[in-house]
Amino acid sequence: MAGFTFSEKQEEEIAGILAKYPFKKSAMLPLLTLVQRAERVVSPEAMVAISQKLDCSPAYVQSVMSFYTMYHTEKVGKYMILFCINISCQLNGCDKLLEYTAKKLNIKVGGTTADEKFTLHREECLADCANAPMMRINDTYYGNLTEQRIDQILGSLD
Amino acid sequence: MKVYEEQGGYQSLKKAFARKPEEIIEMVKASGLRGRGGAGFPTGLKWSFLAKDVFPRYLCCNADESEPGTCKDRELLLKNPHMLIEGMILCSYACRIETGYIYMRGEFHDLSFIMDKAIEEAHAKGYLGKNIMGSGFNLEIYTHLGAGAYICGEESALLNSLEGGRGEPRMKPPFPAVEGLYAKPTVINNVETLCVVPYIVNEGAEKYASFGTEKSKGTKLVSVSGHVKRPGNYEVVLGTSTREIIYNLAGGIRDDNELKAFIPGGSSVPMLPASSVDVAYDYESLAAAGTMLGSGALIVIDNKANIVETTLRLISFYMHESCGKCTPCREGTRWLHQIVQRILQNKGQLEYISRLEDICDNMSFKTFCPLADACVSPVVSSIKHFRSEYEEYFKNAPVGSV
Amino acid sequence: MSDNEVTLTIDGKSVTVPKGTKVVDAAKQVDVDIPVFCYHEKIGPLGCCRMCLVEVEKMPKLMTACTMDVMPDMVVKTTTEKVEKAQKGVLEFTLLNHPLDCPVCDKGGECPLQDNTFKYGAPETRMEFHRHNNAKATPLSPVITIDRERCIACQRCTAYSERIEQGRGLVMLNRGFYNEVGTFNNEPYDTRFSGNVVDICPVGALTNTDFRFKARTWDLTNAQTLCAHCGCNCNITMGTRLNELLRVEARPNDAVDDGWICDKGRWGHHFVHSKNKILVARENSKGGGKPTSFPTFPHDCTIQEVTAKVVEAFKKIAEEHGPESVGFIGSPYGTNEENYLYQKLFRQGLGSNNIDHKPYRDTPGLPVDHYGVEQIETANVVLLIASDPTEELPILDLRIKKAVTSGRTRLVSLNDQKIMLDKYSARSVRYKVGFEALAISALANGLARELGEPAPTQDDGLDRAGISAEDMKALVETVRSSMKICVVYNPSALSGDAVLRVKRLLKLIAKVPTMECGAIPAAPMTNAVGAMDMGLLPDFYPGGVSVANHEEIKNQWGENAPTAKGFSALEMIARAEAGELKALLIHRSNPVVDFPGGTRVASALRKLDLLVVHDMLETETTELAHLILPSNGPGYDEGTTTNIGGRVQARKKALEAAHAPDWKIISLMLNAMGDETTYGKALDVTEEIARKVPGYQGISRRTVGKTGCNREAIASADEPVTDQPAGTGKNGSLRLRVSTFLFSHDKILDASSKLAHHFLPFTAHLNEEDAKRLAIQDGDTVLLSAEDAMLEAIASVGSRCQAGGVVVPRVSDWQGVNRLIGADGGPAWVEVKKV
Repeated sequence: MAGFTFSEKQEEEIAGILAKYPFKKSAMLPLLTLVQRAERVVSPEAMVAISQKLDCSPAYVQSVMSFYTMYHTEKVGKYMILFCINISCQLNGCDKLLEYTAKKLNIKVGGTTADEKFTLHREECLADCANAPMMRINDTYYGNLTEQRIDQILGSLD
Repeated sequence: MKVYEEQGGYQSLKKAFARKPEEIIEMVKASGLRGRGGAGFPTGLKWSFLAKDVFPRYLCCNADESEPGTCKDRELLLKNPHMLIEGMILCSYACRIETGYIYMRGEFHDLSFIMDKAIEEAHAKGYLGKNIMGSGFNLEIYTHLGAGAYICGEESALLNSLEGGRGEPRMKPPFPAVEGLYAKPTVINNVETLCVVPYIVNEGAEKYASFGTEKSKGTKLVSVSGHVKRPGNYEVVLGTSTREIIYNLAGGIRDDNELKAFIPGGSSVPMLPASSVDVAYDYESLAAAGTMLGSGALIVIDNKANIVETTLRLISFYMHESCGKCTPCREGTRWLHQIVQRILQNKGQLEYISRLEDICDNMSFKTFCPLADACVSPVVSSIKHFRSEYEEYFKNAPVGSV
Repeated sequence: MSDNEVTLTIDGKSVTVPKGTKVVDAAKQVDVDIPVFCYHEKIGPLGCCRMCLVEVEKMPKLMTACTMDVMPDMVVKTTTEKVEKAQKGVLEFTLLNHPLDCPVCDKGGECPLQDNTFKYGAPETRMEFHRHNNAKATPLSPVITIDRERCIACQRCTAYSERIEQGRGLVMLNRGFYNEVGTFNNEPYDTRFSGNVVDICPVGALTNTDFRFKARTWDLTNAQTLCAHCGCNCNITMGTRLNELLRVEARPNDAVDDGWICDKGRWGHHFVHSKNKILVARENSKGGGKPTSFPTFPHDCTIQEVTAKVVEAFKKIAEEHGPESVGFIGSPYGTNEENYLYQKLFRQGLGSNNIDHKPYRDTPGLPVDHYGVEQIETANVVLLIASDPTEELPILDLRIKKAVTSGRTRLVSLNDQKIMLDKYSARSVRYKVGFEALAISALANGLARELGEPAPTQDDGLDRAGISAEDMKALVETVRSSMKICVVYNPSALSGDAVLRVKRLLKLIAKVPTMECGAIPAAPMTNAVGAMDMGLLPDFYPGGVSVANHEEIKNQWGENAPTAKGFSALEMIARAEAGELKALLIHRSNPVVDFPGGTRVASALRKLDLLVVHDMLETETTELAHLILPSNGPGYDEGTTTNIGGRVQARKKALEAAHAPDWKIISLMLNAMGDETTYGKALDVTEEIARKVPGYQGISRRTVGKTGCNREAIASADEPVTDQPAGTGKNGSLRLRVSTFLFSHDKILDASSKLAHHFLPFTAHLNEEDAKRLAIQDGDTVLLSAEDAMLEAIASVGSRCQAGGVVVPRVSDWQGVNRLIGADGGPAWVEVKKV
């Protein structure tokens, strides 16, 4: 297995992260998030690199990583669409809109577009219930969705 | 920061530092403030449980808002980060804590930038760091992001997650107040709870206690969502009738449909039928009605909705979020899902209803943490109040169909 | 009832237990069976399975008995309707997606899930849907099979990996219903202790691949015996069927193994049925390795005739050339009974003290308490000297980890190489290879000065030994202030008289006021302590009685008992080379490979007039023998062995051999010598040992029982310490340190072994400085030469040892690493050159 190395900038960031906690292991999620955001995937090599930084076994890193939904072992698209399907959104018709979005992107829910631009996932409550139905694309929340809004939003992303 | 201070922000610090830390705890106790995250445990009492003479101690702000229907903490974090910081400073001073973490759910990544900036501003103003305002009290606050797990909202699972592990809940005892983060005494409070503390210190415990009912003091942020005309976050005085919240504040049912059911406190509490809409919105009244105030997320369901489908959606949520540690929750949530799914596919049998109830009984209070009980709530309450909707599905089913 | 005890009521029965006991354990004391899956006494409560729910008065909901501490006046009920419904419910959930594999599952018959369902479950299931499918019979490692469909996610195995092994190689992956047990990136889970998960898994999810489908558990005959791979003597159960050893399981003994065994103990047993086993006595053609066509004894002759012939041959030589011309090289792998009888044979029968069992120097007994293995947990400081428990005595590694992580014990080490336990060590002081005498003396002198005892005032030689003054000072202080210290030292890794310096050190430590000091002589071999106790030494009789102690010897052993100091094993080989030793009997030992001296050993043995080898497997030494006797070895042997903690435990045979057991063979030789004692069973020999060997007077079948008992202390003789010449090698050559590797490829773990995947290539570990000087890079092929031997190895450059030394792990019998060491036993200087 070839190694995964952090860039200089990332090393700086990691140093800052480690400084926040009295015990190294607490930096587990921040480091996994750092890798996921930078690479759009958490590879086994990256897990080894993280395990070395935190003095733990790679199996432990994988155990933690596989517990949370925001880490992926397969590369995700440039834009990660998390479409809320929980109760408030369901009551406000999110199912049809999710279908619409999937059809529009020509992928199944859970899949990625061929150009690796969009990945579409169902997601549980994202805490924006007052604006149901809603979706989260990367770090931005989009609420009060309609088919037109969805068209507009997806169109505006390059 | 500028705006916050102009509106009287951070004034409470001076007042607090003039008093002894124990006094602040007593103030919060006297105010009757109860945890606003869902459990409703008296806040002052929780603070006083910290193991004596054990240091260092930690404060964790639970910003893992994941309870379906709840969106109030997001708004607080987005629009008023300094209020939370002020609240955390007061809590830390009262409990002699020198490090605080704000555990935000992973999807709040954008909010963490805002919060980090606010923390920087607070530092610059000398409200955080060493010897705050000359009081001799030190405090550092850091943000920490989760990564997508509802169970991390449970306080012991939050601690495990913060320590860099899987978000599985811990055995209690020991309780976090004795052995919490890194095995040290820890206070874990919801965002809203901490945001209330500056008010209590500024205006006094009696003023806060003058609002609300005997056992539910103060105000609550209610996230109203579902089939209402004006979904949103509303601050209501505890004890207000639910009818007023739904029809006055939230504008009534969408399309002028009729109310069928509502879930008063987030999906984990039992739902109530429309006939209960006059129940007072406070901890004890809702408990008496067989449900709970929970996180204060009022989900409104109108008569066009299919209760069984909605229940299935909720079961699905708990099935996804189960940590998998204990058998009844891991297997039971999935089994409930399978059965209700069958019912919706018109493949169920009448005895499924009693089976669902029995499975729920086998899960209730038998699991490691209350997630299984949360899953059971919508199932049991929907069968209790809307049994006929379930029975509809068996009317046309041939006997013995699977 | 004292303050530390709690009285509570369980199902109407009153029980008093220590504070901190869990309700589920308290219930066992009054025969109340609370079913569990995830709870295990050694791993601790997990609360995952919810099987142990009980009703407690005054508590609103059912509580898990395994996580609940007992409280005074608690009233617990385990048979109420509520509890029974909950138990049925939990079992229903547990079985919901569990495959109906019982007919094909190895766990059947010893399966807690089966047992609990039978006792507490409902007769039918309401699950009508398809059960979830998952990976079946997947290799988790070459020796463990995982069936993820059967797994009930009790987390016992992952908790074991985290809390006991502490390597966290086996973890839970995913979340919720998709929880599964796994490793990093599907890599095999092959640690030293991985096999224990097979024992603790409550269902057939983790099974022993080697044992798969070989027998039903109820068809097995189980013998409660001991592992024979190392000096820990872990307690095991050997499961056999139709006289074939099929599997080995752990048999918990808190005083020894704490409930665990290592993988070598679990899967390294196939040598018992090796095709290289010696099954009949035979005569080799003039020591040529092949059976002679016209043997002095035919194939079907009785063992009496064979032994009579052997004795006749020895007697003839002893009469002609004197008792100095005969000798015995025994084994630290022999049982106490075998060793005792052999020394009796040579001393009483042939009047010779040429008796030994090792190529290194050691003396019996200790000047301080002989600590049992369990006392590591109660010591404040554990000091390792020249010891590497992870490779040499694996269960000791687990004990030390347990003690250190409990916070109670600190580990410090004085070693010449990096060891895996350094991670847990508060201070690892490393001395240069070959300088153990200086290092140990420096520590002793440092202590002596603190105590005001006489000590040389000049330089301790720390510089030459490669130790900094601060390190030594800190180590002295740690030892001095420890109040209770356990010293674990490996005599087989100490050269020259270093072992005597250890004993001197122990005496000094014991002089520190209010100090409790004990030691564990941690030689890796199974019965090294027993061999010393039984007097397999040229200068000591059994029980640590020195040959100089004429009076006691004559009292105990008769007027004719020889009192002249005999020759050590290496000296015997040298004398054989010189033609002065004429006859040698070797028992369970392979000097041609295991002794230093290279090819000189074999040529020395060839010079003998008579070489009789009594061994279990064909070896390079049996090839040279004139007469070969079959040795039963582990699996077949009966008797006792004494572990590193001085604990005497019983070995019971699991298999029937085709030939007489060793103790019988030796006793027949004794009879042929004129001794009239007859022994009906191995226990009879043990009884004689109890009568005649100081220290073993308390040993009997009753006291040894199923878990063994410690023998009495054996005091050590005072030996003077001589000046250690530092020795110089050729310019640029390095001091050799042969280190132990647990999974060495030898006669025991041969090429067909289930553990062959652990075998390592020949590697030489060089220090960076030396590597630079010799222009060797990591991965280069190098030639190691010394004496008349040349070995090829792969260089590994790092800091495993200090400059001036090279560490070569002994990874196989065919490596020939001992040929690099001179016939006198060392120190060995090797030249290392890049090929």
